[in-house]
Amino acid sequence: MKNKSLNLFRQIAEGFRSMLRIWMRELHLIILDVGVISVVFAAPLLYPILYSTIYYKEVVREMPIAVVDLSHSSASRQFIRKLDATPELMVAKNSASMEEAILAFKNRQVRGIVQIPETFSADIALNRQTTISTYADMEFFMYYKALMAGTSYATLDAGNRIQINNLMKEGLTERQAQVTVEPMKLVDNVMANKAGGFANYGVPASLILIIQQTLILAIGIMAGTARERHAFGTLVPLDRKRLGTLRLVLGKTAAYFTIYALLCVYMLGMIPQWFGYGRAASLPELIALITPFLLSTIFFGLTLSVAFKNRESPMMLYAFTSIPILFLSGVIWPLSSFSPTWLFVREIFPSSNAIFGFVKMKSLGATIYETRKEIMALWIQTGVYFLTACTAYAYQVYFSERLRSELLSHPFREMRRIIAKRQA
Amino acid sequence: MKEILVSIRNVARREVNRMSSRSLYILVMLVFPLLSILFFGSLFKDGLPTKMPIAIVDLDQTATSRKMARSIDVTPMSKVVEFLQSETEAMSELRAGNIYGFVVFPKNFEADILTSKQPIVGYYYHNAFLTAGGLIQSNLATVLRSLSGGINIKKREAMGQSKDYISSQVQPIQRNTHQLFNPTITYSVYLSTIVMPIMLQIFILLMTVYSIGIEIKEKTSREWLRLSNKSVVIALIGKLLPYTVSFFIVMMFQNFILYRVMQMPMHTNLGWLMLGSFMFVLAYQAVGILFIGVLPLMRHALNLAAFFSILALSLTGFSFPTDSMPPVIQYWSNLLPARHYMHIFQSQILTGFELKYSLPSYLYLLIFVLLPLIILSRLKSALIYQRFVEDIHSMNSSI
Repeated sequence: MKNKSLNLFRQIAEGFRSMLRIWMRELHLIILDVGVISVVFAAPLLYPILYSTIYYKEVVREMPIAVVDLSHSSASRQFIRKLDATPELMVAKNSASMEEAILAFKNRQVRGIVQIPETFSADIALNRQTTISTYADMEFFMYYKALMAGTSYATLDAGNRIQINNLMKEGLTERQAQVTVEPMKLVDNVMANKAGGFANYGVPASLILIIQQTLILAIGIMAGTARERHAFGTLVPLDRKRLGTLRLVLGKTAAYFTIYALLCVYMLGMIPQWFGYGRAASLPELIALITPFLLSTIFFGLTLSVAFKNRESPMMLYAFTSIPILFLSGVIWPLSSFSPTWLFVREIFPSSNAIFGFVKMKSLGATIYETRKEIMALWIQTGVYFLTACTAYAYQVYFSERLRSELLSHPFREMRRIIAKRQA
Repeated sequence: MKEILVSIRNVARREVNRMSSRSLYILVMLVFPLLSILFFGSLFKDGLPTKMPIAIVDLDQTATSRKMARSIDVTPMSKVVEFLQSETEAMSELRAGNIYGFVVFPKNFEADILTSKQPIVGYYYHNAFLTAGGLIQSNLATVLRSLSGGINIKKREAMGQSKDYISSQVQPIQRNTHQLFNPTITYSVYLSTIVMPIMLQIFILLMTVYSIGIEIKEKTSREWLRLSNKSVVIALIGKLLPYTVSFFIVMMFQNFILYRVMQMPMHTNLGWLMLGSFMFVLAYQAVGILFIGVLPLMRHALNLAAFFSILALSLTGFSFPTDSMPPVIQYWSNLLPARHYMHIFQSQILTGFELKYSLPSYLYLLIFVLLPLIILSRLKSALIYQRFVEDIHSMNSSI
């Protein structure tokens, strides 16, 4: 009895030791492989800076528009000044006719047109409703949004001014007139990303995406390389004695986890700090989210890696899936507009929940409790992909062991000959 | 001349045989592109997001506040999913991502309106989700403004103003919005029409690099070159021809989905659409030749191709305009055929402008097609000497 438990203890210790060995060996292999190192380090280091440069200006400001002023009155000129004063718009052209304005639009000199009717000042003087026409560039949504925001502000502001003046002429005090025009005061409260910046919105999501994609890529390249290097195209080498599935999976996981935990400090801690992409989240929250994210991604990557036969195919998979997976996160396109099918597909990738959770935490400081849905989903993925990774590796170990025993059944000289033939 | 055609045919036939030997080819040429068309086509099928979840915090609980809450609920863009007791609760729901925005009606809201105290109505929206937040913002602002206008009318009626006068006064300046050259305000016009070609260019580019690179990696390039009478031009034409045909068909199928099934506006004729699509495919095949020529080690060329093609999502500028990017990035964006194709889409397909506005973009695409000429000799020597093969065996001596 005593002997038996001692045996078990010895076995666990032995297993732990070989896990540590695999961990170190994998780290060693990763560091030696320039191809993997460039993927693991270059992409996470460079992409965030590149994206931050692309979206440096964050928002569309002072978008050039053409104004067709048919009224030529002081009222219309005042209105044009108001348009020009909005942060969104800049009156770049005073066109005499609509044709002229459209020509400027076709030449991409202006991105929108505002037409003021001939009757503009007469309408206002005679208390008639007047109508200005806006022509929006529908090619770019940001341009459409800027024109709508700018003209909406200008018309509301000018309209309120007119209403208040007329009401005061009827004998109301200025305050009374104001309350009549605006019976309730509407207050616009923008939560997170106050300026509506594009980098603020896109970069945090892509940071998580880059972590997942490069991690899967690195694991895939390592697996593809192993197959190319091993003489019999096996994922698990034949010359290692007793490579248990569990220690293989755990040892490899530990190696990737160490590297990526450090990378996360840079990508999710320093980059957002430097570029000011929200700093609401605190460390415990981020750790609670990122730990299951990294684990599930590594297990997912290990499961997939079984399928890669060479060093190139992981890169192709990386290129093909990155953009769709970004759209699946629900940050670009709202989840309420997803069909059940795509909601299901969304749950396949750890990045979906991690991106959503990370954006929530970084932008408004969602707590662990408020991110429980995402964190739970990531732990479930961790569990499921751990099982799939173990199954996949168990098969690979079994396959290698069968080959090994098959080889060992030959006489030694014969065996050397077969191996030499395969290696050539 | 006839001899050349025969060589091209032989190389093309050899390529088709190679394609059927690996499932990768059929995946990248057909399965993945069709899946991507299906994905983006169905994801954006609504055009605009509708029924986005929001909440109401009604601290007043009067007939007026409840009526306003109902008016907010019936707008197509948002759906009131929760009625909450406090602002704190609503903030927590917003942080949790369960709602994209909420409206707060304060205590004594109705009484304050009746006594002209101008109560404050606050609306909140989550702008880290820029699409949803922006739409919720404009939706709530519009609804609340019109509700406020309704009270304005009632007050004026109480003052004894005539109906005609009131209707001229509550909104003295009206805005009439026209969409230039595009009658619909739907996201799918921006998204699917550009994202689908962006996905396709990734497939074309990587497929081109792979199909040439694999010859160097597996040392079959000499045999390939021999079959094409040692002419690298014939070798490339013969090899890439099957892909040109296949990707062109896929792209036309994509156009069919976009302009016929999804009913995107199309203001040009089929001929121009075919020419634009054909040049798009050719331009990316040419860039692929350039990449493998510059970096004949396939894995490096694939890395470069992936980096180059994924960035198109940002650099074409369909989501964030290129004009607002730093100048260096603007120059860079011109190095992407996808950007010029997008110009053609915007100045010709979508809007039907005269040809002179899209002609420069066709010329740009033509320049891309000619790019491989500068790399031909380097590529040829790579094909002959096969020096660019990674040595992975030296790293570790496992079996």
